[in-house]
Amino acid sequence: MNREKNNASGHSAANSTSELQLGAARKRLAESTGQEDAIDGLREIVATFLGSEELGLFRVDRSASNFQAFWSFGIDLEEYDLVAALGAAGLQRVMRGEHHVEVSAREHSGALSKAQAFVPIRFANQTVAILAILRLLPQKLAFDGHDIELFQLLSDEAATPLFGESVSGLSMSGSKVSGPGADAKPATGGPGMSA
Amino acid sequence: MSKKILVVDDSKTALMMEREILERRTPYQCVTASDGREAVAKAQQERPDLVLMDVVMPNMNGFEACKMMRQQAGTREIPIVLVTTRGEESYMEAGFQSGCNDYITKPIDSNELVALLQSYLGE
Repeated sequence: MNREKNNASGHSAANSTSELQLGAARKRLAESTGQEDAIDGLREIVATFLGSEELGLFRVDRSASNFQAFWSFGIDLEEYDLVAALGAAGLQRVMRGEHHVEVSAREHSGALSKAQAFVPIRFANQTVAILAILRLLPQKLAFDGHDIELFQLLSDEAATPLFGESVSGLSMSGSKVSGPGADAKPATGGPGMSA
Repeated sequence: MSKKILVVDDSKTALMMEREILERRTPYQCVTASDGREAVAKAQQERPDLVLMDVVMPNMNGFEACKMMRQQAGTREIPIVLVTTRGEESYMEAGFQSGCNDYITKPIDSNELVALLQSYLGE
């Protein structure tokens, strides 16, 4: 697609819905007033633009080679196994800095299953956290090319607003923010940490 | 003088998106509120030409705010467009009963929103 091409109403692609969403998401993260507000921003971006209200955020603890459930919305992460959900290959991709989308054929209920996405949150060329987008809203069937652009934006620009100065330490601060569905258990060990 | 739109949403991200659409793609002036209660007060104070309002909000939801605006002389005639998710479309009968003129679904498509606003306010 030629991104410079004007659309039917005569407006440049920079004013298209997808570009406006990217601009709003970038601004929301950049203007966050603290960690709690940045987490609210992350939830709003995922709900408003990516179409999910079930998400979890895991910090990467390189010193202990594991993941720590940090925050969640709409889902209880107590029983959630990030490593099992990602699989070894998915985990390696995310640790390398690539997003990973998992699609399974059918849910246990027999209903058509939808995609889950795992987005690396990057700082200084390393994955410092993983955003798991776990269930799409009924009106959203799959992720598309524009969603991938939003994944990239979150990957590149969310770390500092979310973790502030602690992001550069690449170690667990032990902090945890409450939210609906939160009550995460710490330390989900797994492979791929050195990928 | 440019026409004024009151945009109401508790999500800062949604407000930023809607404001971006209005500022980049329309000549309309934008004022904002973050819940229904604030919207009712701002509508009285600012007398916008149109209200674009989310449904699910804290303190006072979009339906209640819509009803209150319809009960007050200064805001009775202002067109109100509710913003809803597709899953909530079945509830829009209640929206029309509360007095809204129209609705648009999230995620908002900028072309759709601009066309809808122009149908009420002109170019």
